[in-house]
Amino acid sequence: MVSRYIAMALTQVSSNKCCNGYQKVFEHDSSELKCKMKFAIYLPPKAESSKCPVLYWLSGLTCTEQNFITKAGSQQAASEHGIIVVAPDTSPRGCNIEGEDESWDFGTGAGFYVNATQEPWKTNYRMYSYVTEELPRLINSNFPADPEKMSISGHSMGGHGALICALKNPGKYKSVSAFAPICNPIQCAWGQKAFSGYLGPDKSTWELYDATVLAESYSGPELDILIDQGRDDQFLSSSQLLPDNLIAACSKKKIPVVFRLQQGYDHSYYFIFSFINDHIKHHAKYLNA
Amino acid sequence: MDAYEARSCLDVITEELSEEEAADEDAFVMVPDSHSPDAFCSQCRTLTHTGSAAHACHALLTPAAAAQQMKDELSRSRSKLSEKIVEMENFASNLEEIFITVEENFGRQEQNLEQHYNEVLQTLSQRNDARAAALDEQKNRKLERLYSELLQCGQTLDASKELIESAQEVHRRQDKRAFLQAVMPVIKRVEQFSSTEVDLKLGVSLDFDVPTTDLSDVRQMMDSINLLPAPSAPVMNPQICNSATDTSLHVCWSLFSDDTVEFYELHWRLISDDCTMETPQDVSQLKVKETHCTVSDLLPNAQYELWVTATNTTGISPASERAVYMTVPSPPVIKPRQCVSSLDAALIRWDSGNTNPVESYTLEFRESDADGSNTATESIVAIPSCECLVQLQPWKRYIISVRAVNIGGPSERSEPIDVSTAGTFFHLLEDTAHPSLSLSANGLTMFYLDEDLPLSHMTFSDSTFARCVAVLGDLVPIRGQYYWEIEVDEDTEFRVGVAYEDTQRNSYLGGNNTSWCMRHIVTPSRHKYEFLHNGWTPDIRITVQPLRIGVFLDYAAGILSFYNAALRQHLHTFSCHFLHYLHPCFALDNPGALTLRTGLSAPAYVTCP
Repeated sequence: MVSRYIAMALTQVSSNKCCNGYQKVFEHDSSELKCKMKFAIYLPPKAESSKCPVLYWLSGLTCTEQNFITKAGSQQAASEHGIIVVAPDTSPRGCNIEGEDESWDFGTGAGFYVNATQEPWKTNYRMYSYVTEELPRLINSNFPADPEKMSISGHSMGGHGALICALKNPGKYKSVSAFAPICNPIQCAWGQKAFSGYLGPDKSTWELYDATVLAESYSGPELDILIDQGRDDQFLSSSQLLPDNLIAACSKKKIPVVFRLQQGYDHSYYFIFSFINDHIKHHAKYLNA
Repeated sequence: MDAYEARSCLDVITEELSEEEAADEDAFVMVPDSHSPDAFCSQCRTLTHTGSAAHACHALLTPAAAAQQMKDELSRSRSKLSEKIVEMENFASNLEEIFITVEENFGRQEQNLEQHYNEVLQTLSQRNDARAAALDEQKNRKLERLYSELLQCGQTLDASKELIESAQEVHRRQDKRAFLQAVMPVIKRVEQFSSTEVDLKLGVSLDFDVPTTDLSDVRQMMDSINLLPAPSAPVMNPQICNSATDTSLHVCWSLFSDDTVEFYELHWRLISDDCTMETPQDVSQLKVKETHCTVSDLLPNAQYELWVTATNTTGISPASERAVYMTVPSPPVIKPRQCVSSLDAALIRWDSGNTNPVESYTLEFRESDADGSNTATESIVAIPSCECLVQLQPWKRYIISVRAVNIGGPSERSEPIDVSTAGTFFHLLEDTAHPSLSLSANGLTMFYLDEDLPLSHMTFSDSTFARCVAVLGDLVPIRGQYYWEIEVDEDTEFRVGVAYEDTQRNSYLGGNNTSWCMRHIVTPSRHKYEFLHNGWTPDIRITVQPLRIGVFLDYAAGILSFYNAALRQHLHTFSCHFLHYLHPCFALDNPGALTLRTGLSAPAYVTCP
């Protein structure tokens, strides 16, 4: 059934049977990013016979579409709950933009899920539109995906991405969750560096992509946000993540959040692996309802 | 006359008939002339001829027709006679039976009479012996008296003789002086002696007085000889199953002889533990003509001793052996506030309804269909105590009632209880509540009031919580799935979760390894939530305060989950293999109130994520 859906635009890069389903990687020409982009997609056994809901996973700094599918161990839970998991890359690649490879936390592998307004980034660095528009369109027309049932999650920079996509698109995602997200980028070094590069000096433009600020002005259907944060995460202690700010904003605006500070865990994929099942179960509650 | 004689009479009749026929034939033959009979006068019943003047006005029949008529008549007579024979035969056999009965009756009467007369003779000879003994005694007494009189006389004679001799001796004395000295006392003695009267009367009469023998009882016996014997003792039947109610007994007995009985008298008395002496007031009686009766106005679940006598004109039979019957118990009373149920079972508890113990209980349950059609009733029998766990189907309503059973049978059904297996129903165990915790009338809201009771006013027991102001709930003891909710206010500092029944009463919920709970603490800056077990909690922040909390317990999956039920938001799950049965537990850490919602089933988002 899957093969029927694949148009000429998509090229299968790899396919591995996993947990009775298939972990595949595809490549396509992205119209938003103006380059070839790869994404990983896990198709559960249920996809053989019927449409399945989709969970979008956004990875963090320096990651590609590979890290999540090889390290997070999400396939078992996705298979059991019958959920398609789509994991795009973290930035456009091979665009030959000057300075794109200079830092690990800006440029290549650090798209920050924004639509850049500044040169030389604004042509290619449109990860926000890629993730919220182009990719879903592509998935819905090429795979047995239920277009009404989408959820989003991510880690670190991807956690930030998941939160802002959900907050900026009320009702688009049935549920949202994050691992060690960058909750308040305008207040942390990472965010300030990336936003000033992609969005320019006007801080009001930065607020459009800040989860804490967006939460303070959110109005829309009720969300149910699950956040896991490793207590021994070095970036937590170095004030890059700032979850307290988000919690305060959500408490004030009565946005339901369950934030779990997990003792002994760090920022790595071992942490993600440990709690990914809880997150997929959290999403399944809404996607399979 | 007996059958044989009757039969021989009939033969005679037949013979006579045939003789008549023969005579007719002869009559026929004896008139050979032209006036040969060719007709039969039905009136005169003789043969004649058609021209006959004597029978001119009579109905005439042809000989053939006449012969037929006669034949019919004859056979009717014959059948009448056959009937008579049958009657006589029956009569004869009845007579035979009566003959035998008479023989039997005679035999019994003879025996009776012999017995009676023997008794009478025995009594008479006893009386005779008694009388003879009495007379004998009299004689002996008289003889004794006479003998003693005789002795006395002898003594008196001897004394007189002696006196005379001594007087004579004195008289013969030569010495005048000595004689004068001795003579005066002697004269005095003789005078004295001769002045005393001698009683010469007989002390006893020569007659014997014969006491009249009391023969009235012999007379009575003689009188009763001609009467029927009194009946022999009847025999009490054992109690028939299910013949008793809680206030009545159906009693039966039998008479194993052919005695005539006019009526029976049934006696009964309540057997109670403390009373060993049977006073006449305890015994009730009833006169009855049949060999069974129903005794009413009895106490339930009680043993009665019953015996019966038979009476006829002669007298009363001896009492039968005493039989013990038992009334069935009163129905039990179900205690709805102490019953719990879940999706697949219910635990029913009741009061016995009887002051004395019963043998066992029977629980009956049936589905109560919406359309009221009758479904089968299932029973659980031989329940030894006042509670029972019954397995049921989920999502149904049942009507459950209980009966008490003793050897007399089962009681009436108790008032039934409605049980729904559409959710978890339970109540709080009031005797585990900390003294500072008070419960509402319906048992579903708990309060920790502001006033601090002085320690001396609080009564603690082994089962009450002593430090944590907590209470346990009751749950069906089955390892299934359970769901309940609590409602709190924003400022309520509470603990809610589960604990083993033997969780330490002087420790705080969640502070030991026998309890798991969610805890809300109000700090100056924020609301804090903890998920405690063994004193440890994960660090969890919750942005929207849950005021209606759902608790889900699944023994098989080994999970205890907490939800913000209003948002359907999952808060936390404990994963644990629960070793024993768990009880819901609730506590208030500061003055406030908490309301319990039971009767709910786990929502879909809880059981099917």
